[in-house]
Amino acid sequence: MRWSPKLRPNGWDGLAAAIVLLLAAACAGMLWGRGAATGGELEVVVSIDGGEVERFVPTDSAGEKTYTSRGYTLHVLVRDGGVEVSQADCPTQDCVHTGWIGRAGESIVCLPARVIIQLVRTDGGSDPGGVDVVIG
Amino acid sequence: MRRWMAFVLAAVLTGGLTACAGTPADPDEAQESIQVIAMDTVMIISAYGEKSTHTVYMAEDEIRRLEGLLSRTEPDSQVSALNHADEQPTAVDGEVSRLLNAAALYSEVTGGTFDISIAPVVSAWGFTEAENRVPSQAELDGLLTHVGMEHVHAESPDAVWLDQGTQVDLGGIAKGYLADRIAMLLRENDIPRATISLGGNVLAWGDRPDGTPWRIGVQDPKRPDDAEGFAGLLQLEDAYAVTSGGYQRYFEQDGKAYHHIIDPATGYPADSGLISVTVVADCDREASDGLPGTGTMCDALSTALFVMGEEKALDFWRNSGYDFDMVLVTADDRVVVTAGIAEQFTPDEAGGYAYEMVS
Repeated sequence: MRWSPKLRPNGWDGLAAAIVLLLAAACAGMLWGRGAATGGELEVVVSIDGGEVERFVPTDSAGEKTYTSRGYTLHVLVRDGGVEVSQADCPTQDCVHTGWIGRAGESIVCLPARVIIQLVRTDGGSDPGGVDVVIG
Repeated sequence: MRRWMAFVLAAVLTGGLTACAGTPADPDEAQESIQVIAMDTVMIISAYGEKSTHTVYMAEDEIRRLEGLLSRTEPDSQVSALNHADEQPTAVDGEVSRLLNAAALYSEVTGGTFDISIAPVVSAWGFTEAENRVPSQAELDGLLTHVGMEHVHAESPDAVWLDQGTQVDLGGIAKGYLADRIAMLLRENDIPRATISLGGNVLAWGDRPDGTPWRIGVQDPKRPDDAEGFAGLLQLEDAYAVTSGGYQRYFEQDGKAYHHIIDPATGYPADSGLISVTVVADCDREASDGLPGTGTMCDALSTALFVMGEEKALDFWRNSGYDFDMVLVTADDRVVVTAGIAEQFTPDEAGGYAYEMVS
């Protein structure tokens, strides 16, 4: 092939092409990463008096956490990718009786302490076979 | 020159792609969810759409407003003013007047099984007090003479009064009415989909983000503390669902359980053979005008049908002319589902119930 001297590719053209390719790869990487982050990770959201006080991924946070509100203390055990209130000094003990929860949409409520522990997915979805809302 | 053009094009390409990555592909998928503790229960408002954040906080304001207006235990509420007016005519908001009239209507059509004037009897059992107790028959007989909507005079909002000894509690329809009000907010703010859970009252608005109906777990009344114990699963789109059950609030004395749903005919906790009633009705999005509507109806009927018992509840479902369906859980381990929602209901075999469909 014959090139006009002005159109013949040189090193600078190669560099420009490489930068375009790198930028394209970076864009693809960003979008890919973003997609993975919203793929629906299960999170525990703890609210006291209507305000969110903590949000964590249960699989990364195994162990015990303690929340105190309105004079009551809840001991929350994070295990097996879910949570339970293992002990509380509230009068109703409904939070303890709820037991372990591990699906998006499930929650543990302590009305006397005004604590709500809810499982959510980062993409807002719920688990296959699970429920969005419980009535009753 | 071409090289620089290539840089410029690359920069434009990068900017365009990252701009796309920074905002949701579809504004309808934006989501906001809040939890509110009010009216002695937990409320969870989850909405999707461009105005989801704005709308859920408007819903919270509405919850607080109605609690302040309708609470029987809040001394400054209009209901408290009415209850302590000593037969003096009291001016109330048109909204309160409309609710009183809606309550009178549902009392009449349900043969008095729903009755907001049962309030002093509920208090005698201690359900609004610090401690529960079993009142004497003489005390109940005395209180029951003041129960009945004929003792509530609400023809005009300018002059509402109660006969001596009568008190009202709108708690039996307040959450249903709140669902009607929130439906109006969802419509006004073009919310495509949402779930509203108001402690036993649910509004399933639109469908799930994946296009399937919302999945509503009906709590198994025999396993109330089990977060995954369901009597069944309802798949609902644009629908209200309200559950009344004696398992939620009760106390035990001398080995006997007493729950909070009082039969206005006896003054005792309803003993109808039902342990949970779920009423389901369609929500007409365009007709959600904020007036007492289908949400209010579901709330009132769930209580009334619980008091009626299975046979009368089914008669009412067939003959009343009200458009709704039911899931009844009976004390003898049956779950009765009416035909209109049979296809949307999935049994949960783990509960050990026998399932029946009626038409």
